[in-house]
Amino acid sequence: MNAVSALENPPQAVIEMRGIHKHFGGVTALEDVDLEAYAGQVLAIVGDNGAGKSTLIKILTGVHQPSSGSITLDGQAMVLDNHSDAISLGIDAVYQTLALADHLDPAANMFLGSELTRRIFGIPFLDNKRMRQEAERVLDERLGVKLRSMSVAAESLSGGQRQAVAIARAVYHSDLRVLVMDEPTAALGPQETARTLKLIKVLREEGLAIILISHSLDDVFAVADRVQVMRRGRRVGVVNTAESSTKAVLGMIVGAEATADAS
Amino acid sequence: MNTQANHNASISEPAARRSWQERLEPYLAIIGPLAMIAMILAFMGVMEPARYFRLSNLNIILLEAAMYMPMAMAMTFVITQRGIDLSIGSVAALTGIIMAFAIKQYGFPAWMAVGMAVMIGGTFGLINGLIITKFKVPDLIGTLAMDLVYRGFALVLAKGLVLARFPDLITDIGRGRIEGFLPIPVLIGLVTFIIGAILLRKTWFGRYSIAIGSSPESAEMTGISVDRYKVYAYVLMGAMAGLAGVMLTGKLNAIQATSAPYFNLHVIAAVVVGGTSLFGGRAYMLGSLAGVLLLSLMINALVTLRIEFFWQSVASGVVIILSVGLYTWLQKKDRDGSKGILASLSTPDNKKLFKLAAVLGMGIISFIVLGFMFANTTTGSG
Repeated sequence: MNAVSALENPPQAVIEMRGIHKHFGGVTALEDVDLEAYAGQVLAIVGDNGAGKSTLIKILTGVHQPSSGSITLDGQAMVLDNHSDAISLGIDAVYQTLALADHLDPAANMFLGSELTRRIFGIPFLDNKRMRQEAERVLDERLGVKLRSMSVAAESLSGGQRQAVAIARAVYHSDLRVLVMDEPTAALGPQETARTLKLIKVLREEGLAIILISHSLDDVFAVADRVQVMRRGRRVGVVNTAESSTKAVLGMIVGAEATADAS
Repeated sequence: MNTQANHNASISEPAARRSWQERLEPYLAIIGPLAMIAMILAFMGVMEPARYFRLSNLNIILLEAAMYMPMAMAMTFVITQRGIDLSIGSVAALTGIIMAFAIKQYGFPAWMAVGMAVMIGGTFGLINGLIITKFKVPDLIGTLAMDLVYRGFALVLAKGLVLARFPDLITDIGRGRIEGFLPIPVLIGLVTFIIGAILLRKTWFGRYSIAIGSSPESAEMTGISVDRYKVYAYVLMGAMAGLAGVMLTGKLNAIQATSAPYFNLHVIAAVVVGGTSLFGGRAYMLGSLAGVLLLSLMINALVTLRIEFFWQSVASGVVIILSVGLYTWLQKKDRDGSKGILASLSTPDNKKLFKLAAVLGMGIISFIVLGFMFANTTTGSG
C-alpha cells in the first residue's frame, strides 16, 4: 500500500511513532502514520499543505493527543498529555514564529517562561546577570553564535540571530533529545537560510535527533539525512537523501510516484 | 559534543553602522520629557521667574505630581501589556468616599481605613481585570463602562455630600512634610516608583508584562499565563488608584463623588510622554516619573500665567497627541529621508484628504458669511 523504501538505519531509534491515527471530529487528519527519528540525524518531513505534517508534529510535542497509536522514546512507551510533558522528556520545538518577545533582550527571550532567579530575603528575584552569562555561553558553545550585543532588543537582531536565540531556548535544557523545527527557513533570505542550515548541522553533530518540517526541498536536501513524505494524512514514503533526488521526492509529494508504485 | 561549534562563529552580523537614532533610542524616553521640562523651565524663566520658581510654588508642583506617581507607576505596567485603564479616577473617588464613610460614620481607626482603601482599590482592579480577561470585553470599553459604574456608586453613596475634616494621618499622607526634607506624599510617590522599577526589572511580573505587550501569542506559547499577569497589572493599578484616592482626600482634607474627574487621561498622558509605548512592550519607569513631573510643571505654568483653568484640558490633550505621534515617528524604521516633507505629503491619497479638508473649510466659511448676512438681532441665551 505505502511505498516505504527499506533503509539501513542505526539500531535504536530515539523516537518511534507507530500507527498514529488522528481524527478531528469526523475529519481524519492522520491515518496509520509511522515515524522514526535517530540521534545525530536530521529527518525532514515534507508534503503538501494539509498533508498532516503539522498534526503529526503536534502529536509528537504533546500539543495534540493521538486518537490511536503509540509513541516510544528510546524504546519506552510514553504518553504525552501536554506540551510541557514533552519538554520534560527532552522533546522540544522551535516554531515558525519563533515565539520571541521583540522588546526583550536575547537572554530574557532565551529564559522566557523559565527564568533563573536568586532569592533575596526569601523573595525570588530575576537573576538577569546569570541569565545573560548563560545565554552567551549557550549561544557560543552549543551553537557557535556570538551576538554583537547581548543588551539589544530581539527586534533588532537579524532573522538568523533570532532563530539562534529561539533554538538556544530549546537546547538549553541539557537533556534535550529531539528538536522539532517547523519551517525554520520560511521567512529568511538566502544568507540567513544558509546560516540556519549550518546551525542545524551543528545540532546534529551534537547528537540530537532533529525533525525538520520544510517546504523547501533545496533546504531539505542540504541538511536532511532522510526525508519522510506525507500525503493526505498518510506516510507515502521515506527516502535517504543520498539515494534520492528532489524530483523523485516531488513526485511522491504530488502523488505521481506513489501511483506508479502502487500499480 | 561541542567540537563543531567553533567552526562557524560567524552568525554575528558584520558590524552594521548604527544610525544616531538607533544609538539614541534607549535614552529617548528620558530625553523627550527632559527636553520638554527644560523648555517649560526656560519659558517660565523668561515669563514669570519670580512667581514660578518660588520655593512654595515648587512645593505645590511636587504635591500635585505626587498624587499621580503611584498611578503612573501602575499604569506603566498596564500600558506595557497593551492594556489601558480608564476607570482610575472613579476608583480613586469611590475608595476615598468609602474610606471617608468608614472613618466618619463608623469610627474606623484612620490607618485601618487607609489599608482598607488600598485593598478595595485593588479589588476594583481585580474586577476590571476579570472583566477584560474572562468576559473578553476589550479593555477600552470594559474600563470605560466600569468608570461609569464606580462613579455611579460614588454618587449613590455620597449623594452630593462633601465629606471633610479627617484625622491627621490622612492629611499627613496627602500634604504633610518631613521638616527640612520632602513632603510625605512625594516620598510615597517616589517609593512606589522605586518599587515599580524593581518590579519591572527584577520580577516575573515585569518581565512577563513586557513579553505580553511585545507579543501576546509568543508569551502564550512560552507557557506564560497571559491572563493571570494581565489581572495582576489591573489589581496593581486599582490598588494604586485607591492609594491616590487616600492622597487626594488628605490633600484637600475633603472628598466628594465628583472628585478626580480626569485622572485617567492625565496618568495615561504622563506614562505615554515618558516613552512607554501604547502599542505594548516598551516600558520606561523613569520616563513615567519624568512624565508626571512634566505635566505638573506644565499645568502649574498655565496657572502661574493666569491662563484660564479650562485650557489645562486642551494642553493635556495636545501633549498626548504630540508625544504619541513623535514616538511613533521616531520608531518608524522604514522612514525614507531622501525626499522632503512636502514630497511625502503630496501622495494621491493625501491630496484627496486635502481636498476634503478644503471642502469642509469652505463650507464652514460660507455658513459663517451667510450667517452674518441673514443675522437677526441677537437674543441673550440666559
